Amino acid sequence: MSEQQFEPNIIAFVCTYCTYAGADLAGTSRLKYAPNVRIVRLPCTGRISPMFILKALQKGADGVLVSGCHPGDCHFTHGNYHARRRWMVFRSLLEFTGISPERVKYSWISAAEGSKFADLINSVTEDIRKLGPFDQYQQMIKDAQSPATL
Amino acid sequence: MITQEKYRTTVKELLASDSVKMVIGYKPGSTPDRRRPLFIRSSDDADQLVLDSTCITNLSGYLVAEGLLSDEKRVGIFLRPEGIRSINILAAEYQLNMDQIVIFGFDSTGREVRPLEGRHSKDFSALLSDIKENSPQISKEPLLESIERMNEQERFDFWQEEFSRCIKCYACRQACPMCYCRRCIVDSNQPQWVNTSSHTLGNFEWNVVRAFHLSGRCVQCGNCDRACPVNIPLRLINQRMAEMVLEGFDHFAGLSPTQEPVLASFKKDDTETFIL
Amino acid sequence: MTRILLSDKLDNCVERWRSAGMTVIGPVQGESISRYAVVENGAGFDFGMILPDRSVKELFFPQTEPMLRYTIKKSEIDTADFPPPQEKRIIFGARACDASGLAIDDSLFGWDYKDDFWFHRRNESVIVTIACTKADDFCMCTSLDLAPDSTKGCDVLLRPLENNRGWQVEEITDRGREAFAVIADLLQESSDQAAPTAVVTEKFNLDACVTWLQNPENFDSKFWKEISMRCIGCASCTYLCPTCHCFDIQDEGDTYSGIRRKNWDSCSFALFTMHTSGHNPRSTQSARWRQRIMHKFNYFPGKFSVNSCSGCGRCSRQCPVDMGITETLQEISKLQS
Repeated sequence: MSEQQFEPNIIAFVCTYCTYAGADLAGTSRLKYAPNVRIVRLPCTGRISPMFILKALQKGADGVLVSGCHPGDCHFTHGNYHARRRWMVFRSLLEFTGISPERVKYSWISAAEGSKFADLINSVTEDIRKLGPFDQYQQMIKDAQSPATL
Repeated sequence: MITQEKYRTTVKELLASDSVKMVIGYKPGSTPDRRRPLFIRSSDDADQLVLDSTCITNLSGYLVAEGLLSDEKRVGIFLRPEGIRSINILAAEYQLNMDQIVIFGFDSTGREVRPLEGRHSKDFSALLSDIKENSPQISKEPLLESIERMNEQERFDFWQEEFSRCIKCYACRQACPMCYCRRCIVDSNQPQWVNTSSHTLGNFEWNVVRAFHLSGRCVQCGNCDRACPVNIPLRLINQRMAEMVLEGFDHFAGLSPTQEPVLASFKKDDTETFIL
Repeated sequence: MTRILLSDKLDNCVERWRSAGMTVIGPVQGESISRYAVVENGAGFDFGMILPDRSVKELFFPQTEPMLRYTIKKSEIDTADFPPPQEKRIIFGARACDASGLAIDDSLFGWDYKDDFWFHRRNESVIVTIACTKADDFCMCTSLDLAPDSTKGCDVLLRPLENNRGWQVEEITDRGREAFAVIADLLQESSDQAAPTAVVTEKFNLDACVTWLQNPENFDSKFWKEISMRCIGCASCTYLCPTCHCFDIQDEGDTYSGIRRKNWDSCSFALFTMHTSGHNPRSTQSARWRQRIMHKFNYFPGKFSVNSCSGCGRCSRQCPVDMGITETLQEISKLQS
């Protein structure tokens, strides 16, 4: 590892009933995981609009994680099924516009899966670290803050 | 010409008998190759009506203009198959009552225009099913194929170049029959999800959001693409997303007025491969 | 004998102007659209088009422009201005309608508040107009008391030569003379005749239109609804217009810091006049189209004694539903006569 290794900023949008509880379990189980993730808790993955993902990227995130209950386990019975379709569509749209799908990750983590949560955060952080800073988006953000050229 | 004459007669009859209060069609434009939307309220005006292969604009967006259908009277409208799909979606999304719509269907091959049999949306369901079945065989536009062959960075650069011309005039949105929201997401500021400014980031966000909101709803009438004053090939994004929902969910937008919107429905066995 | 500039000297001119510290801008035909863009040599220009798709306005009043950066602290707010660009520019090959548009907007941007972003660019730019020798069905400068070789807003007027090998040079302002002094030795005396300017037919009777618009009875005429039934409410006419100048101030950022920007805005949008309460004084598209016409030919001239239209015809040329100022004023001319 180089001395100044790149520390990615990752935003995780999680549902409160499964993944957030899983994160809680990871914490109470004293599992150590990468500190690069900022968690935003929402009622359900069905509430996670792609707007949230765009907003996170707009504010400079290098990666985004979206996570909720396993299919069949949604507290609201089918919020995650709706979310799944939406992710499939959004993911292919980002891909078509040239944004690496590796920047936005999706997972199912239940309230019992504290160790899966810790492992996933570690692996996602490592993946995004390998991809490096999200230069394409950073450049757009920089352009938006620069004076007019002509 | 025969089709046009036949339809003029029908339109006159329907207006004269008060079966419809208005007919939305086409009339000559400011140059010989242009057609403009026409709103006919009395049978005397029906002679202005033209119908030929240059009548391309999808007129269905006018149906959801504020107040037009609120008196529950019927309105006639000239539609190509894509237009019929558009109004099916509008009905499925509870934006209009199909019983109020009288359809004058037409299609064209080359310069030849032919009428489509039927007056009500349900009369066209076999036609639309056929179109769905044949859609995978339709050869792709070379530009779309070349974008799909690009690597990620090339695709990103391609779209950045295209979006760089965007001036956020929202002609794409206004021309789209599916963009009927009273307040568009870009016009909402509490919270403000998308930058309103027309800089690189704002243009990228707007175009992604627009395409996402039309995924599974776009019928590829091309209104947005033709309306764009800076010629961004918007049709390509829409086409790609239409393919995606067809492949992923067997969804062909606008098949019937009762079709469930693709992003407001699900199957328990929707297959994905990327969720960790 | 008049002074002429030969096309094959254009390369040298661009080089001279660039080494004199000027950015050279001209009409450029891109793959998808044409616009005024920076050119690096004589081959960069495209003089064949009737006029670029996008107007010259955007070089003086860009679609989005950062004005200041703000940081909100506990007891104070820090701001830092974005200064307007400082570079000197020469716009070679502007159309007369575009140049007139700039002169028209000068009165607006310099009225109660002097807009630095606009005037800084205006003062640092030399406009070299090339008179039109061809026009299309949408051109309407002559209906607005302007012409394909109008000198309004331009610093130097060039007239294409009949033999197509260059232009007659007519310096209009000191700024133009200064810019052409740099290339004085590249000009020559010649008896070559200038090609006739484009014939732009008069499309409507402006005086009749103005009389009709000024009559308060016509404000509520049902004409407005009929003419604008098909308007879809996009802003392509206003954004491509060389004189439409409305803008919106937006703060982009978060609670504590951000950038205040000046963005194009358009009277065609419902949101343009929407009140916080939800009430909208221009609640229908016909009211918004009426405003656009009234503003250009009644209110604006009432205040600044000049029409806010230079007759480029881009509104009609680009309209997705084939509307535009020409059609509306033609119909009004008929109503008045």
